[in-house]
Amino acid sequence: MSATSAHPSTVTPEIEKAQRALIDESTRLPVVLFYASAVFWLLVGTVFALLASFKMNAPTFLDQWGWLTFGRVRPAHLNAVAYGWAAPAGIGTALWLMARLCRTPLRHSKLLIGAAIFWNVGVLLGILGILAGDGRSIEWLEFPNYASFMLFMAFGLIAVWGVIMFRFRQPGHVYVSQWYLLAALLWFPWLYSTANILLNFEPIQGGAQGAVNWWYGHNALGLWFTPIGLAAAYYLIPKVLGRPIHSYYLSILGFWSLALFYSWNGMHHLIGGPFPAWLVSASVVASVMMFIPVITTAINHHMTVRGNFHALKWSPTLRFTVFGAMCYTLASVQGSLMAIPTLNVVTHFTHYTVGHAHLGLYAFFTMIMFGAMYYILPRVVGWEWPSARLIRWHFWLVAIGIGMMVIVLTLGGILQGLALLDPNITFMASLDYTKPWLFLRSVSGVLLTAGHIVFAVSFTLLLLKAGALRSEPTLFGTDQGRRPEPLNV
Amino acid sequence: MNTIVYILLAAGLVFFGGTTLAAFYWAAKTGQFRNLEDGSKSIFDDDEPVGTATDAFADKQADRPLRRGAIAFKS
Repeated sequence: MSATSAHPSTVTPEIEKAQRALIDESTRLPVVLFYASAVFWLLVGTVFALLASFKMNAPTFLDQWGWLTFGRVRPAHLNAVAYGWAAPAGIGTALWLMARLCRTPLRHSKLLIGAAIFWNVGVLLGILGILAGDGRSIEWLEFPNYASFMLFMAFGLIAVWGVIMFRFRQPGHVYVSQWYLLAALLWFPWLYSTANILLNFEPIQGGAQGAVNWWYGHNALGLWFTPIGLAAAYYLIPKVLGRPIHSYYLSILGFWSLALFYSWNGMHHLIGGPFPAWLVSASVVASVMMFIPVITTAINHHMTVRGNFHALKWSPTLRFTVFGAMCYTLASVQGSLMAIPTLNVVTHFTHYTVGHAHLGLYAFFTMIMFGAMYYILPRVVGWEWPSARLIRWHFWLVAIGIGMMVIVLTLGGILQGLALLDPNITFMASLDYTKPWLFLRSVSGVLLTAGHIVFAVSFTLLLLKAGALRSEPTLFGTDQGRRPEPLNV
Repeated sequence: MNTIVYILLAAGLVFFGGTTLAAFYWAAKTGQFRNLEDGSKSIFDDDEPVGTATDAFADKQADRPLRRGAIAFKS
């Protein structure tokens, strides 16, 4: 097997094992800090999500307090899950992946601990600011200036750390996941600061704000969440199965075509708006060109798992990650199609778009982050997950929950969109069409909430060391008396 | 004030666009796009080689062998 190794043959497996354990351990404090705050904000964001969803069914629910009205709870939900949960979960994963892929222990953890503090203070101030009525009516950038400045500091520190880690990496090949991570770490602080400057600190005028808003909003997904999610999938799927990526050539092509096309996509949110036609058209073309990175990634992930789909039965990491990878394909294909003006006419301003957002940020990104956490945390803290049963409950609750949410919002959104386009149907009647679907959406929200509570319990028990001591860094719970038998081909 | 902000933003645009192009050039120059077969195996090593699964439910044995290349669990 030494022929497959990127290392000189003088390094023995024992040394490699010890080195890897050392690298994993060096990431412990920052990774656990980011993961723990992510899980905390996931629960907070879920509460806001439930409140906002219930208000769709019962508009007067809890409306006697200004800070719990829909106009504040809904952005509080978006920002708590996007900046509180998804981004720190991605950062924790990125830190560990960077250390492993650079094959060097994590350096300068003070930078990261500082970033984690800035981050949590920023999110706390932001959420409180939104609830207090300080929020801005700019989707994805509702945080007031004092909060977004904190987040920028955190992003900046992490970017600097990423460059330092890359600088001190072991010589050799730069794996595709590293490209994705570096791209996300470097591009995002720039994206975030530019959008904040142009919209909040030194606002540009009029309609151009809409263009900046969606340039940012779409790129937050495309140049931050997507690269980190794909970096995790490109590492975890081959690593769990012990099988290299099906076509490495396609994975590289996928990365560079994503870098080329994704940043143009945002303007497809403005179809039909008061913007120059070329601006929107260029974006629609780029959105359709996204088929190239998406299809290359889909082929790769599918073909790497093909023949081993039964592995989803025993690997929690793989189950969550493959679910996420499949939903990446779905969400991206759907996104490209939604950018086509004839379809956009129906889906724009309906719950269909909300379903699409959850397919992307939850079914794709969040599920991959769960998978990554299941793989990374035991290796980082040296303790196993306490219960496989909790993991199963977690998976089925959130998988059924998000599946149901996307389906009902999609169907309800199409009906809503067709009703909105029909001149014989009043606006109020078009809202009536959505009622049963919004009720079902709340039911799916309850399932997701239950799943998140199960996960938070599992996570807390792991940190309290309720699981088994991890005696070897490669297998999931070998010391429970049921060590899997060696397999033969 | 406005002018300074716009100059900064334009400089950012040039810098980040430039680093992306430079990264692409660097990757091509240093052979990152060559020997892709080996590149895909760079995440494996002698201790966790190709053919070794590294994750499983604690209470559920993998009941069927992995196909194509996968030989045994890491024990």
